[in-house]
Amino acid sequence: MTLARVEDRRLVTGRGRFVADLVEPGCLEAAFVRPRVAHADLAGLDVTVARSMPGVHAVLTADDLGGVDDVPALFGGDDLPPWRPLVVDRVRHAGEPVACVVADDRHRAEDAAGAVVPDLRELPGRPDAATALAADAPLYDGHRDVVLDQELGEPVAEATWADAAVVVETDLRQQLLAPTSLEARAILVRPEPGGLTVWCSHQYPHALRDGLAAALGLDTGAVRVVVPDVGGAFGGKSPTFPEYVVVAVAAQRLRRPVRWVEDRTEALWAATRGRGQAQRLRMAADAEGRITAIDLHVDAAIGAHPVGAGIPVQTGLAASGAYAVPEVHARIRAVLTTTAPTFAYRGAGRPEAAYAVERGVDLLARRLGLDAVELRRRNLVRDFPHDTPTGRRYDSGDYAAALDRALELLEPDTWRAEQARRRDEGGRPLGVGVACYVERSGGEPGILEEYAVVEARGDGGFVAGVGTSSTGQSHETVFPALVAGVLGVAPDRVRLVEGDTAAVPEGHGSFASRSLQMGGAALHGAAGALVVAARERAAADWGVDVAHVGWDGGTLRSGERETSVAALAPLCAEHRFSSPPAFPYGVYGAVVEIDPELGSVDVLRLVAVDDYGTVVDHGVVHGQTLGSLTQGLGQALYEDVPLDADGVPRLEQGLLDYLLPTAAEIPPLRLDETAVPAPDNPLGAKGAGEAGCIGVPPAVVNAVADALDGVPGADPSLLAMPLTPATVWNALWGGAR
Amino acid sequence: MRIGFTLDGRDVAVDVEPRRTLADVLRDDLGQTGVHLGCEHGVCGTCTVLVDGEPVRACLQLTAQVARRHVRTVAGLEGPDGALDPLQEAFSTERGLQCGFCTPGFLMLLRGALDEDPTVVDDPARLDALLASNLCRCTGYEGIRNAARRARDS
Ligand code: FES
Ligand code: FES
Repeated sequence: MTLARVEDRRLVTGRGRFVADLVEPGCLEAAFVRPRVAHADLAGLDVTVARSMPGVHAVLTADDLGGVDDVPALFGGDDLPPWRPLVVDRVRHAGEPVACVVADDRHRAEDAAGAVVPDLRELPGRPDAATALAADAPLYDGHRDVVLDQELGEPVAEATWADAAVVVETDLRQQLLAPTSLEARAILVRPEPGGLTVWCSHQYPHALRDGLAAALGLDTGAVRVVVPDVGGAFGGKSPTFPEYVVVAVAAQRLRRPVRWVEDRTEALWAATRGRGQAQRLRMAADAEGRITAIDLHVDAAIGAHPVGAGIPVQTGLAASGAYAVPEVHARIRAVLTTTAPTFAYRGAGRPEAAYAVERGVDLLARRLGLDAVELRRRNLVRDFPHDTPTGRRYDSGDYAAALDRALELLEPDTWRAEQARRRDEGGRPLGVGVACYVERSGGEPGILEEYAVVEARGDGGFVAGVGTSSTGQSHETVFPALVAGVLGVAPDRVRLVEGDTAAVPEGHGSFASRSLQMGGAALHGAAGALVVAARERAAADWGVDVAHVGWDGGTLRSGERETSVAALAPLCAEHRFSSPPAFPYGVYGAVVEIDPELGSVDVLRLVAVDDYGTVVDHGVVHGQTLGSLTQGLGQALYEDVPLDADGVPRLEQGLLDYLLPTAAEIPPLRLDETAVPAPDNPLGAKGAGEAGCIGVPPAVVNAVADALDGVPGADPSLLAMPLTPATVWNALWGGAR
Repeated sequence: MRIGFTLDGRDVAVDVEPRRTLADVLRDDLGQTGVHLGCEHGVCGTCTVLVDGEPVRACLQLTAQVARRHVRTVAGLEGPDGALDPLQEAFSTERGLQCGFCTPGFLMLLRGALDEDPTVVDDPARLDALLASNLCRCTGYEGIRNAARRARDS
């Protein structure tokens, strides 16, 4: 089933309302002062000229934020360094805001921001975990640089390594990525008597409500967060950012609405990044090709504020991949660096794990002289539920069926024949790569629940409220249809309310591919509960047993008696759904060709077979696959936040330096799905948002390594994402030229 | 300085600082918030509008550059009766949008290109080369490509 999208009419006519589009009388605009140094003492800050400039209403610095609490931590580690909304005395990443100018319009705000003069005394930076671990003083006095050091699973026994037929060991790098939703961050805060109304481009409005209330010392009930249209998020819009706290303070102090719309340059310099791991992988297998052990050590560059320190733990939890492996161990360290915070980006910890494991499987296959697909097949998990040594319980699936289907689409035998021909007769190096993945959707304890309410109205309509928050995933289309299906009414009789903390009292937003699996299940439950409540009400009114009251598309009947549910309005029912996470999975395949002179990679075919459990709207799910695999291609081949020796991003030309895939970069695709239902929610659904980001990078890199395998002198170990022409060329020539 | 031009078929005149871009003036002075800003440095194409029928990036145009010219935005795609342009219909039918932030830019890029030469969508390589001037971070472009073809046929 694919429904016509309800949200499209306003979006194709330019009548969408994003935060930047909202018209709020008297609204002022904010701009931040962001030094382009990675690490420096802030010895002074001269704002006198800026304060006197035309149209400027306020220039806020850390001195003005005395009564304001720290930026709330999303990650609950102990001994975390404080995160002040504006820099107090030391800049710890390029673009970290030291002051905020509020003016009549953005031009004047930026003019004045340019007139703020910080006195900066530069310090050596620590761009990555290795540099940070070697630094002689901590980044924050009195706080450890390693904010998290966690082991998952038991250490692999020495005997296992000793007894293995092969052991492979490799260092892998996950580059930093900029999530780059096309609408960057944006917030508008209007002061209210005793509180605030906040419009924000956000994934988690209830957490933002709580975070702003905590920072400003307000009751949660005094803060209302409304999420209007959101131009993409991909994980980068869940935290309560320091800028949001500052804008809220400015609105309170000036008693005027204040808006901040992040521009692209700011986003590339100072918004959160994803990935950013240095990995050391060790894997063992016996002579029959059974994987006996995986050991994964991750040092995550977590940035200057550890808001995302929980993300790399996901990598450890996922370290078994799609395989039944008796011994799996991961050690995860999150290390403070002088870079913008590393946080969730589509996949958030799972792409990092899948990449390591799937690269490792290919290395094992090579050493064993086994076909890499065959090695995978021998090790796939086959019985469910399956408990992994690092603490996951895989819920359901037929992993081997996904592999079979992917091979049908990939046709590896045909390509292998062509590969052999080229190796004999000459021709561009050609390679085939496969990757399996299992990921986790729904979230982690604390957010493995969702709230929904469905109300019958006197006009015959229904209002469905849920605590998720769309950032482009068609909730207005899918959720009303889902509720209508339970109620047995036409979808246009159901209106969705979402992304407004005043209308929906609780919720956990949209990330971790949780919206349908958790929010949809909650709506399903609430709609069912409304039917029960209506039948009970009618039974009481009529003095009959509820068992004798039937529901038929909003009409209640018992014998001769009949009433519409509208006549019982107001009537509403709530439901709180909770469940363990779900585990979507799939198999990706790539065929690549390398131009030996340029080092460029041409993807000739990309295959994806994903299993998202039971699919509710095929169009939405297909769109999620396409979007996520495009971002996966970005990581594999193009995207990177390069840093200088101190951690300053080298993105002087903005988006010209940060390469996003365009329509011309999309290879020929062959996509399919299998659908083994999730056992733990009534819809059977698993999350569908992140698959391509997880499956594409290892498939593509494995294919490129395979292509290099046949080239004398080439060194596939020199491959690292993104596979730029320079990187591939260097690996092709064995680093010798 | 005072600049006059036509906006979606009606005459407008604005008093602007010389430094202000067409995108800012369309959005802030003329209320055309369908003109989106994804980068403000000419890369993403979300701000694309038609000037005398040709797709241009409004963030790279000074308002003075459109004096006495015809500017068309996404708001001008609908017919006077509110009927959608076939491209708008096709974007919805083909799932050419998810968040919709890039959509006005793609619509104007394609409207200009189809008006100029509808055969541009017949050759996949030409179509991709055209679409590659704009960025979408959500859809993977398949729906946008299909929408372009569907609109040409309708
Ligand atoms: S906003 Fe004009 S090209 Fe990006
Ligand atoms: S639909 Fe979101 S950027 Fe294109």
